[in-house]
This record gives sequence, structure tokens and C-alpha cells, in this order.
Amino acid sequence: MTLTGTSRLVGFIVRRDRVRLTVWILGLIVLLVGSAASLLAVYPDQASIDSYARLFGDNPALTAFAGPGHGFDNPSLGVILVNETQLWGAIGVALMGIFLVTRNTRAEEDSERADLIRSGVVGRHAPTAAALVVAVAANLVIGAVTTIGFIALDYPTVGSLALVASIISVGVVFVGVTTVAAQLTGSSRACLAMGSLVLLVSFVVRAIGDISGTAMTWLSPIGWAQAIRAFAGERWWTVALSLVVALALVIGAFWLSTLRDLGSGLLGVRPGPAASRQLRRHPLTLPVRLQRGALIGWLAGLFATGVVYGSFADSVDAMVADNPQIAEVFTQAGGANLTDSYFSTAVMMLALIAGGLAISSAMAPNTEERAGRADMVLAGPVTRHGWFASYLITAVVQTILAVTVAGMGVGVAYAVVMGEPWQVVRLTGVALVTLPAVMVLLGITAALYGLVPRATPAAWVPLAVAAVVAFFGEILRLPPWARGLSPFHYLPMVPAQGFTATAPVLLTAVAVTLMVAGFWGLRQRDIAVS
Amino acid sequence: MSAVLTCHNLVKTFGSTRALDDLNLEVSPGEIHGFLGPNGSGKTVTMRIVLGLLRPDSGTVEVFGRDPWTHAVDLHRRMAYVPGDTNLWPNLTGGEILDLLAGVHTGVDPALQSELIERFELDPRKKARSYSKGNRQKVALIAALSTDAELLILDEPTVGLDPLMEAVFRDLVADVRNQGRAVLLSSHVLAEVEKLCDRVTIIRDGATVQHGTLNELRHLTRTTISAQLASMPADMASVGWVHAMRSTDSQLTFEVDSDRLDDAMALLTTHGLRSLTAHPPTLEELFMRQYGNQLTATPAHGESQQS
Repeated sequence: MTLTGTSRLVGFIVRRDRVRLTVWILGLIVLLVGSAASLLAVYPDQASIDSYARLFGDNPALTAFAGPGHGFDNPSLGVILVNETQLWGAIGVALMGIFLVTRNTRAEEDSERADLIRSGVVGRHAPTAAALVVAVAANLVIGAVTTIGFIALDYPTVGSLALVASIISVGVVFVGVTTVAAQLTGSSRACLAMGSLVLLVSFVVRAIGDISGTAMTWLSPIGWAQAIRAFAGERWWTVALSLVVALALVIGAFWLSTLRDLGSGLLGVRPGPAASRQLRRHPLTLPVRLQRGALIGWLAGLFATGVVYGSFADSVDAMVADNPQIAEVFTQAGGANLTDSYFSTAVMMLALIAGGLAISSAMAPNTEERAGRADMVLAGPVTRHGWFASYLITAVVQTILAVTVAGMGVGVAYAVVMGEPWQVVRLTGVALVTLPAVMVLLGITAALYGLVPRATPAAWVPLAVAAVVAFFGEILRLPPWARGLSPFHYLPMVPAQGFTATAPVLLTAVAVTLMVAGFWGLRQRDIAVS
Repeated sequence: MSAVLTCHNLVKTFGSTRALDDLNLEVSPGEIHGFLGPNGSGKTVTMRIVLGLLRPDSGTVEVFGRDPWTHAVDLHRRMAYVPGDTNLWPNLTGGEILDLLAGVHTGVDPALQSELIERFELDPRKKARSYSKGNRQKVALIAALSTDAELLILDEPTVGLDPLMEAVFRDLVADVRNQGRAVLLSSHVLAEVEKLCDRVTIIRDGATVQHGTLNELRHLTRTTISAQLASMPADMASVGWVHAMRSTDSQLTFEVDSDRLDDAMALLTTHGLRSLTAHPPTLEELFMRQYGNQLTATPAHGESQQS
């Protein structure tokens, strides 16, 4: 029996991934139900709902990043909920599927742990089947809790069910896609890349389809999931389409798996370069070599997000004229010009994303040390400071690039909309004002790594605090001292307010001090291996 | 000649664990020094102290007469290291990693390196992710052996290598010694060290328990003999050089002091020898015998079996 042992393996995966699963499931539930809850406050009456529909109805940039906007001809709060959560929720569950399935199939084979499992009383298809069961179950849990949440918040029952069904149907399709990718690819990285690529193509194809109003939408699993028309005359058969496709993919994957050997991919592994002059001459460019792939992804993402924010800016005045609640959000930034206030907020959000890049890049030396790879480099005539500096400089340069590119994205889009080329320079400058605060986050990571290496992952906490202060500071009525925990709190809110140099200079000094502390700590302590 | 490396009364603690407790070690120029101890006895910790990656709590370390903690960079110009658990950058190819490691070492001979890639049969175009343990080990060995380091620190270097590659490795390490360079080689397999090393330091629980040349330590090595005989010799157990004798109907197993092998053979051949196996003691056996400790005996790790 090729499925012997599946149930035991399911238990094993749940045990091994208990934290990971909890984070994915809770995170997505909080995202979806939290959005549903906050919409109640932002769109309290039919007038504000109508203005939302008008705004989205004629902005292709927003269509690209939300969906086809079914139901805008007769808008309700449910329609807004679909527009705000459906696409991002679907991407969230799709990513969850891609990561969970890759981790429990292809990555297990990479590590040769799969050999150990398969040598037991375990059927040929059991490890894959177990991974599928867990991933689909995670989707169902998210679906069930989210549906209850929506209904508890007084969204119509049928529409809530349809919205949730459309979201998790995308998750299930990508479980299938990744299972196929695990058979085709020869490594977990390639498997993740293939799954993510299919997701990206699905996103773009449906965006083009939605904007052009053509049938292209139907080529994308996200497109046909959105075609369910939740809260706007549901068409349930689109869910059946997703399930049929997912089932076909899984059956195909099982069939493909019989054509290959355990541990190898059908597509084979491409050989890489046999030598690297760059690394031989300048070994301390290693961090650049290791991180360049991820950097390109971050920069592309930040630029795209910047473009969305920038293209949105033109509509801010119109939106605010219709919806005083939104005006309140932006005027927190101070100043009279609403568009400028909007830019301050947008740039802050981009800076927080860049903070994620800064922290993850500055954590690389910790990963290297824990994996024992730092030993191999530090056993050469390389100073610890030089080695650490190579990573830190890489992180600093990446962060500067990230903030610049994000600002340029906003600037380019706004310059095109307004026909004012100089906006590119102005808004890039505006974005760069946030750089000292991002550098503080980087500095905290460096200091933790040098002084208390075990606590390095805690560097994410300040970013989370900054995000909470930025997004929920008003709603939660946080006291000033709590807001002061975020380095971003001290920045001048340009362009809404004038630029003052004091805070950026002080923040830079703090960042530099933290980095120096990191260097000092690293010199004093043992190089660890976990 | 002054020592390349001296450790004197080293103590290193991690929290409440005492990893090193009075460890002494001395490596002379032009020798392959075996560093023996069971798993977890402190071999890797000692090596990482010698490299200046860890700082000892007390005791002194000198490499080429200098403290590796304060002079790490200068000393590393004259050293090469192969870590025990070779972890490579998964998305770099073997060739890229060799170039990286050549970049952080001085005196790497590119011609020698290409020769070693061939002798070890390594495919440098493969990503490290897809290398087996043996192949990862080869990358680290090629990197270290293609330098002109005066002191090579090799932490269990043959783990994962197949017997053919082990032979290549032994040849190369012998070459290193013949050039007057020193090697510190750790292992938990006595037989491996016997094949290669001039002198040996044996440690247990972070303390040095024996050191000297292999001949000086010969008294530690008893050979275990197991024989099938036509008739059982009488009074074997009372012979002075026979230890731990057990017998069944036709099977006789006993340990013999290595300098009395001749006598043992002479005795056995007079009793109709039908089959014979002999193997040197495992390190665990050696410890149990020598120190009467209750180390759990584990099966022999592929020691050479002569029959």
C-alpha cells in the first residue's frame, strides 16, 4: 500500500512544525479578521462605502492590486471586504502552501531525512500525502475560523462563506502546484522558486485580465477564485473548478513521482560555475554573492509597492473629499496638504518594509556563525572585524538602495501621473529622510549579534513595535512614551512638515553607536556553533 | 626543536559544562600528531581555541610561540583548518567555495588545487547543496591541503570519505609531513591514527590521559583474537598474557598483549586452527581496560580486520 504510515507522518509533521503552523494559521486569521473588523470603523455608512466604490471603480492601478471589483455597481461593506482582503489573503495562503509543502517534501529529500523515513514501514506516496494533508488542513482551519469571524462581525453569511472559500481554494491549488514542483525540481530552493513564480504569474495574468476586462483572468487560479463574486451574486462553481484543478495537480504529482528516483528532480540540477575569480580576489564580497538574489527580489517588490502608492496619490484629494474618516488618518501626519500627508504615511510604510530587509541582512553573520560556516572564513587571516564589517556594509548598502528604490517608485509613478519629472527627485529625497530610523533597526541587530548573539532574532521586535506604532498608534491611542519606542516617531514628517536635521543626525549617531557596540562585543566573545 | 603548538593546563567551561579540564597538548614541527578521544571529549573545543575562535578560561595556548586569541590573523597566515562538521554555503558551487577559501588563505597553489580536485574526484560545478557528506569533506580538505600552511588542524578529516579517498588523504598528509610541516589530526578511531600519526595525545572528558609515540603507547593496545579450534587448549586462562578469555564449544575469544602475538599464534596453531579473526582494540575498549570506567562499549568503527 503506497500510503501506509501517512497518518503517523501527519502527526510527525504537526509536531515538528507546530510553531510554524501556528504562526501561519494565526497570522493569516488575524490579517483577515482584523481587516474585516477595522473596515467596520472606517466605512460606517453607505455614503463612505459608495465613495470607496467610486474611487476603486475608475483606478486601474487599484484594480491591479485588488481585483475585478465585482459588486461596485451596488456596493456593500462585504464588497469592500472582498476588495481589501481577497487578493492578499489568497496570496498569503498560497505562500503558506508553497512553503509548507516544499518544507515537508522536497526539502526533506534534500536533507536525506526522507531516506530515513522511507526506509521504514512507510508507503512510497505517504510522505507527500502527509504533507498535503497538513497543508490542506491548515487551509481549512484558517477558512473555518475566518468564516466564523466574518459572520460574528455581522457580514452576511453567504458572502462570507464565498469569500473564504475563494481564498482557501487558491491555497489548495498552490498546495497542488507545489507538489508538482517538488517532483520536477532538484532542490528545495528551486521548488520554492517554481511555486513562487507560478504565483507571480497568476497575479500578473489576472491583473492584466481584470484591467483589460478580458478572459485572461480565467488563466489564473487567483482570477477564477475572484470570479466567485462574493457578496455580489455568488457563483459557487468556481470553487469546484479550483478543487478539480488541485486534485488533477496532486494526481499528476503522484504519477510524476513514480518516474523519478527519491532525491532527484525530473528537471535535473543545472551545474554552476566551476570557479569564481571574484571570491578568490575579494573573499569578503561573499555576503554580496550570497544575498544578491534576495536583494533583487526585495528591490523589485519595494519599487512595485512604491509605484502603487505613487499612482494612488493623485486620488487622495478625491477620496478624502468623499470620506472624512480617511482624511483623519492622513492629517495625523500634520500639515495642510493632504497629498503630502499621504506621502509621509506611504514613505513610512515603505521604510518599515526596508527595515525588514535591513534586519534580515544584518542577521546573516549570525546564521553563518550558527551553521559553523563562519569558522571556515575566520580560520584564515581575516580579522573578526573585517568579516563582520563585510556583512554589515552589505546590509547598510542594501538598506540605502532599498529606501532609495522605494522612494523612486513613488516618485516615478507620481511624476507620470502629474507630468512633473522633478517629483522623482523630490519623493526619493522624502524617502531618504527615513533612512536614519531604518539604520537604528540595523544597528540594534548588529549590537545584539555582537553582545548577546543568542538574542539576535529579537531584533525583529523593534520592527514590530515600529509597525504597531505606525499603523495602530492612533487607533490604540498609544501614550507618547510608547510611540517613542519607535525610532520612526522622531523623524520629521516630510513633506507634510518641514525638514529639520536634528532628529536624523541623532538617530544616525545612535545607529553608529549600536554598530560599534556590536563590533566591540564580537571581539570579546567566543565564536559559537550551535 | 621548539614546539609548533603548546596547550598547557587548558580549562574551558560552557555554563556548568566543563568542556576542557586541564588539557595539555604539544605538537612538534614535521610531525603528524594524533588527537584521540571519544565523541564529546573536547577535541573540537581545543582546536577552536588553538584557532583563536574560543578563549580559554585559564591555561595557556601558544601557536608558533604566540597567543592565538590576540594574534589570530597573523597566525592564520601559517595555519589551515578543516572543521569536523563541514557546513558549506548551499547555493555556491564547490569551485566557488574553493576560490572563496583560497581568497582567505595565503599561499594557495592553484596548480596543486586543480590536481587535488582531480585526485579527490570532486565535481566543482555542483552546488554545495547537492554534495554528499563525503564531497563536502573533500571541499574542505582540498582547500586546506592546497595551502602551504605550516600547521594543519584537521578535525576528524576522514569522516564520510570512502576507503579509496581515505588512501588519497593519507598520501597527501604524509607529503605534508615530509615537507616538514605539522599536522594535528583528531579522531575517535585508534586504527586510523595508528596508520598515520607519529605521536598521539589521548584525551577524555577534557583532560589529557596519555601522550607519547605510538610505540610508547603500545602497552595500551591489546589485540582481540577470536579463533575456531579443533581442540581447546587447556589452562589458557592462567597464561599471563591472555586476558578476558571466553569460550564456547569450539570458539575461543581472548585478548592478548600486542608484544606476545607470536606466542598466541604458536599456541593456537597447535590446536587445529580453523578460522581466525583479530582486531585492535577500539578506543572505548582501551579506555574501559585502562581506566576501569563504565564507558558504554560501542561496536568497533570499521577497524581493520585481519583474518
